[in-house]
Amino acid sequence: MYGWIWRHLPGNAWVRALLSIVLVLAVVYVLFQYVFPWAEPLLPFNDVTVDGQ
Amino acid sequence: MARVRNRIAGIISLFGELLITAGVVLGLFVVYSLWWTNVLADRAADQDGAQVRDNWADGPGALDTKDGIGFLHVPAMGDDDILIKRGTTSAILNHGVAGYYTDPIKSALPQDAKGNFTLAAHRDGHGAKFHNIHKLKTGDAIVFESKDTWYVYKVYKTLPETTKYNVDVLQPVPKESGKTKPGRYITLTTCTPMYTSDYRYIVWGELERTEKVDRDRTPPAELR
Repeated sequence: MYGWIWRHLPGNAWVRALLSIVLVLAVVYVLFQYVFPWAEPLLPFNDVTVDGQ
Repeated sequence: MARVRNRIAGIISLFGELLITAGVVLGLFVVYSLWWTNVLADRAADQDGAQVRDNWADGPGALDTKDGIGFLHVPAMGDDDILIKRGTTSAILNHGVAGYYTDPIKSALPQDAKGNFTLAAHRDGHGAKFHNIHKLKTGDAIVFESKDTWYVYKVYKTLPETTKYNVDVLQPVPKESGKTKPGRYITLTTCTPMYTSDYRYIVWGELERTEKVDRDRTPPAELR
């Protein structure tokens, strides 16, 4: 999977490395900004009130 | 034969890469919950707290509950000023504040003649304002600061583990804490054990005295 991505990135090894870092940062951004905030309330780690629900 | 073997090797290595990816994503989720949410919540709470301080800048005076009703100081938990807002939904608590209950049992406010001032805040992440709730022992001070009054409460009972269904801990007279008569109580609730929310941790206090806020906002002896 990662080998396939590497082979399909344009440019020489340095350009590919740079593009890889950009891709990784983009994925981390999407996770922190959208995926984790969505997932967190669905997981039983952070309910602090007594509400009987 | 060689092609079949290549194909199998390819599938196995794809599976392995997916497992590694899943591990990294879970690791990032831990970083998110225990670090990044604190960064965001502390930033929001600092801003909101500064706003309240700004509203109060004309010196002690009539009650002012805009943007938050005041600050909670709990020396045994740390020297943080915890801003208190109305409501205990995660949209409110995720901004690094403690909220007073409006549901299922409506909280009293400190200035009320009788009742139970009931609060909730996060144990981990989102500011983790009640992270050190286990350090509170009988006799420790919980001080609430409003625009014009310091309310000094003393802890008289802790309940280290109860279920989320135990809403009676929020009653105006919390019988489970051993009280039978109306008084001016405070109740802190959060989740326990740390990093999960299987149970709830409860701390009860009773008002010992109030002090008027002076021009310099000199804190009561408990905070010095």
